[in-house]
Amino acid sequence: MNRKMRSLHRTMGAAVAVFLLVFALTGIILNHSAQFKLDQHYVNADWLMVHYGIGKAKADISFLVDNKTISQFDTQLFIDARPVTHLDNPLVGAIVLEHLLVLATEKTLILLTPEGEFVERMGEEAGVPVPIQNIGTFKGEPVIQTLSGVWSSNSMLDIWKPISLQNISWSQPGQLPEDVAEELKTFFYDKGITIEQLIIDIHNGRILGSLGVWLTDFLSIIFLMLSLTGLWIWIKRR
Amino acid sequence: MTNSVNRQGLVSLLTALLLFVVTTNVSARGVYQTNEAFLNEVYDQTVPKSDVIWLKGEVREQVKKILGHNYNGLRIRYWKQNNRSTWILEEIGKEEPITFGIVINGDSVEKVKVLAYRESRGWEVKHPAFTQQFNDAKLKNQALDRNIDGITGATLSVRAMTAVVTLALYLDDFVSTLS
Repeated sequence: MNRKMRSLHRTMGAAVAVFLLVFALTGIILNHSAQFKLDQHYVNADWLMVHYGIGKAKADISFLVDNKTISQFDTQLFIDARPVTHLDNPLVGAIVLEHLLVLATEKTLILLTPEGEFVERMGEEAGVPVPIQNIGTFKGEPVIQTLSGVWSSNSMLDIWKPISLQNISWSQPGQLPEDVAEELKTFFYDKGITIEQLIIDIHNGRILGSLGVWLTDFLSIIFLMLSLTGLWIWIKRR
Repeated sequence: MTNSVNRQGLVSLLTALLLFVVTTNVSARGVYQTNEAFLNEVYDQTVPKSDVIWLKGEVREQVKKILGHNYNGLRIRYWKQNNRSTWILEEIGKEEPITFGIVINGDSVEKVKVLAYRESRGWEVKHPAFTQQFNDAKLKNQALDRNIDGITGATLSVRAMTAVVTLALYLDDFVSTLS
């Protein structure tokens, strides 16, 4: 019985030795996390960011207008990587007029200066026909398409007349440029993941997801058995 | 038997309470009234043409003083007929903007209404019992002429509403001096 117990103890010990080392080392490091300032140092390796589900910044929709990238992330509107204002509805298009950038959602037009500063939100109450399906330009004048037809206005955007024009240059969505996507990634995810968080996740197994949690449970049971078999052997030797 | 009936009653009551809390919170966020519907209500379906005020120079400075920061937007649209003006203004409560509809009649507040609420807490400011406190309020030294009772848990929303009502009174006064 004693020999079987020693054999079991040795086998279990050899099998979990690496994990025990990881537990012990990460545990010691976490104990001194504050001294090492691990919560102020970051890792942002691409594979790790992907593993944490922090991939590239992916806009709901984006438009490229006047050398600017206009994008929507949930209810936030961005010009390049700068948050500008909130959006209650999805963006449907963007055009540039002489002194304005005009963005359209289903229910409002959002006016910005050429520098991207928010001017005003204009909806049905300001005489804008809704629901807007698309926005475009014809000879420099704004044109919107709604369920009831196509409407044209002047640069003031407050009087809209129904028209039946062809050859309207409608706004088309585009891809986020790489440099803007990179800046947005920094905006959303700061500098990456703190080293402290990474070590905590290695220590508790969550780095491997739900499988890691079960693995940690299993290893903890083995550690418990190691302690018990060790005690058994020590008692029997006496 | 009686205990079992009592227990069932208690469970039903708690479930009903839970459902009430959950549904109340769910309905708290969102658009209560569209801007268009609010204006139609104010002007009895005959909405006057809108006008805009650009926030620059002295106006911009005064607006900044009232709100404690710049207004989000370079111009504000308003609707005016005779002595009544209507302002649809946005102000951040805690993190998200709240849309307010404010009617000024003469030099005092006629009506304040929360049109859209996007915060997760503090929506109690929408209740007429609270907004009625602003009725007849006037501008005095660029502030309201009265104290507004707060609501526990809605401090920032109350602050936002007080600021935009003051702003509407100031802007109404400003456009009145122009005309």
